[in-house]
Amino acid sequence: MRSVLVVFKKEMLEILRDRRTLIAIALAALATPTVLFVISQVTTKTATQTYTVGYSGDIPTGLDILFNATGLKLERVADPAAAAKQQVDIGVVFTPSGIEEYFDPTRQSAQIADVRLQTIISRYDAAKIAASLQEKGVDPSVLNPLPIQQHPLSSPVQAAGNSFLSFFLPYILITMSLTGGLSAALDTSAGERERRTLESLLLTPTPRSHVLIGKILAVSLLSLTAALAAIVSMLVALSQIQFGGRQGALEVVLSPVAAIVMVWLAVLLAGSFSSLTIALGTLARNFRQGQAYATPLYFITIFPASIVLFIPDFNPSLGYYLIPILNAVLVLRDAIVHNAVAWSSLAVTSASLVLTGAVCFYAALRLFTREALLVRS
Amino acid sequence: MTDAAVRVDRLEKQLGPNKVLRGISFEANAGEIFGLLGPNGAGKTTSLRVICTLLAPDAGSVEVLGYNTRTAPQEVRRRVGVVTAEFGVYPRLTARENIAYFAELSGVLDGDVQRKVDVVIDRLDMGSFANQRAESLSSGQKQKVAIARAIVHDPPVLMFDEPTSNLDVLASREIRQFMVESKGRGKCVIFSTHVLHDAERLCDRVTIIHQGIVVASGPTAEVRGKFHDLEDAFLSLVGAPS
Repeated sequence: MRSVLVVFKKEMLEILRDRRTLIAIALAALATPTVLFVISQVTTKTATQTYTVGYSGDIPTGLDILFNATGLKLERVADPAAAAKQQVDIGVVFTPSGIEEYFDPTRQSAQIADVRLQTIISRYDAAKIAASLQEKGVDPSVLNPLPIQQHPLSSPVQAAGNSFLSFFLPYILITMSLTGGLSAALDTSAGERERRTLESLLLTPTPRSHVLIGKILAVSLLSLTAALAAIVSMLVALSQIQFGGRQGALEVVLSPVAAIVMVWLAVLLAGSFSSLTIALGTLARNFRQGQAYATPLYFITIFPASIVLFIPDFNPSLGYYLIPILNAVLVLRDAIVHNAVAWSSLAVTSASLVLTGAVCFYAALRLFTREALLVRS
Repeated sequence: MTDAAVRVDRLEKQLGPNKVLRGISFEANAGEIFGLLGPNGAGKTTSLRVICTLLAPDAGSVEVLGYNTRTAPQEVRRRVGVVTAEFGVYPRLTARENIAYFAELSGVLDGDVQRKVDVVIDRLDMGSFANQRAESLSSGQKQKVAIARAIVHDPPVLMFDEPTSNLDVLASREIRQFMVESKGRGKCVIFSTHVLHDAERLCDRVTIIHQGIVVASGPTAEVRGKFHDLEDAFLSLVGAPS
């Protein structure tokens, strides 16, 4: 296997001297903190922003204090319904019998102001009812005949952090495992043909399988490094950035179990993606054609990674863990949220990903040993 | 049976719909420059690719120093060095690293790699640019890198496929000198070209291929025969007006 090491070392040397690849990885690692920073700025601004309520009529006593405390600014207008279309965020008419509310649901500011208004009115109603009952000598607790005392077994703040992580971490792991090594994979396959070095390489007595393994190992290492760098930068960013105006950063802790599962899955994904992208690059006549072949992979990988976002409580049967990429997302989600791993799921996932990698390697090897590889060039 | 370094026997090869080789036979010996001649598309490159095991023959056989290309392709590759007109090199590696990479892949032992690389760098007078990245080299310098990587494992059979077609006059002359020098070292040099003038000056024996068949074969002077030069002889053999 000396020749595998020779090819691996040469490929790594070329990768480390390729500024494009290194810059792409660095940018990818910085992209996640940048996106998170922007999200934090937006959520903080949304949480602390004051929205305007255009009103007419007489404000019930004490309600104006609640408005101010909840970030709603009252502004008297002639026609609240007309003003709610553009001038203010929502319009309210106070009548002796109640409140008429006017808002445009297509405006995000109107939605947020509406939620705040509902909260205020609920509190105001509860306070008024309690006061009336007390005046009549009735204990207000009769309104709550079955009080509930919650005892969370883990920190709600950490639970929120885990929920956030269970979506973002698999997503970044999978996309970076694919894109981190893509440029190098195409360079080492389609690039050999484009640079006219392929024929000389195939003329050496080194078995083609050894050449291919050396290339796949180099690309896999690059993918793995890119994925782990992006995840580490994301975790650092999450520990520093505040979201939604809350005090302190989101509590994000990657448990040892989740970390081990993540690295294991990253290795399997990097190997599979490297074999697949090298196979596609071998099919291509040049780098650009290779990129065109690889483009559908973005959609194929992003869709399963997004399923946790759309169906957070997706708890599939073991058979679903045979589906590559989706299985990695599910196992990682479980490891993060529950801090535990179902070994049967992990075993099926590992077997599925190893088999996928083997099939991709076999396809790449078949392509690499075909006469058409040279004749087409 | 002679002890030819390369023996091609009734070789046939089809690529896609085209029958490129239709039963060609020839032999090339150690210590000679053997010319494989013919116009573009005659089948010269395909013949060389079969000899160096990149392509498998459909029929017939090829032996290099007694090793059959079908049954012992790796043994054949160990004994062959090929230089083509497409001298692609790895741009981000230096000239020295390019050569060392192929030395290692060709089975040169670890402790011997740098010594062998130094030998070919000296032999081809590459010292001035050996440590430069290949992306900064001229065409002639890249061609030297391509030659160096083909000979670094000291193969007994050297094949040159249109080696001067992308080079200027000076670089072409160096290639021709190198072929003559290799012949002097006892190598079997196979020179494939459509430039019959070059072949006439360099080759001891030639085989002319046209449309996948051998139309003439033998010592250069014998093939030229009564004609003014090899080009006239070739035109006469393929029935084209001279």
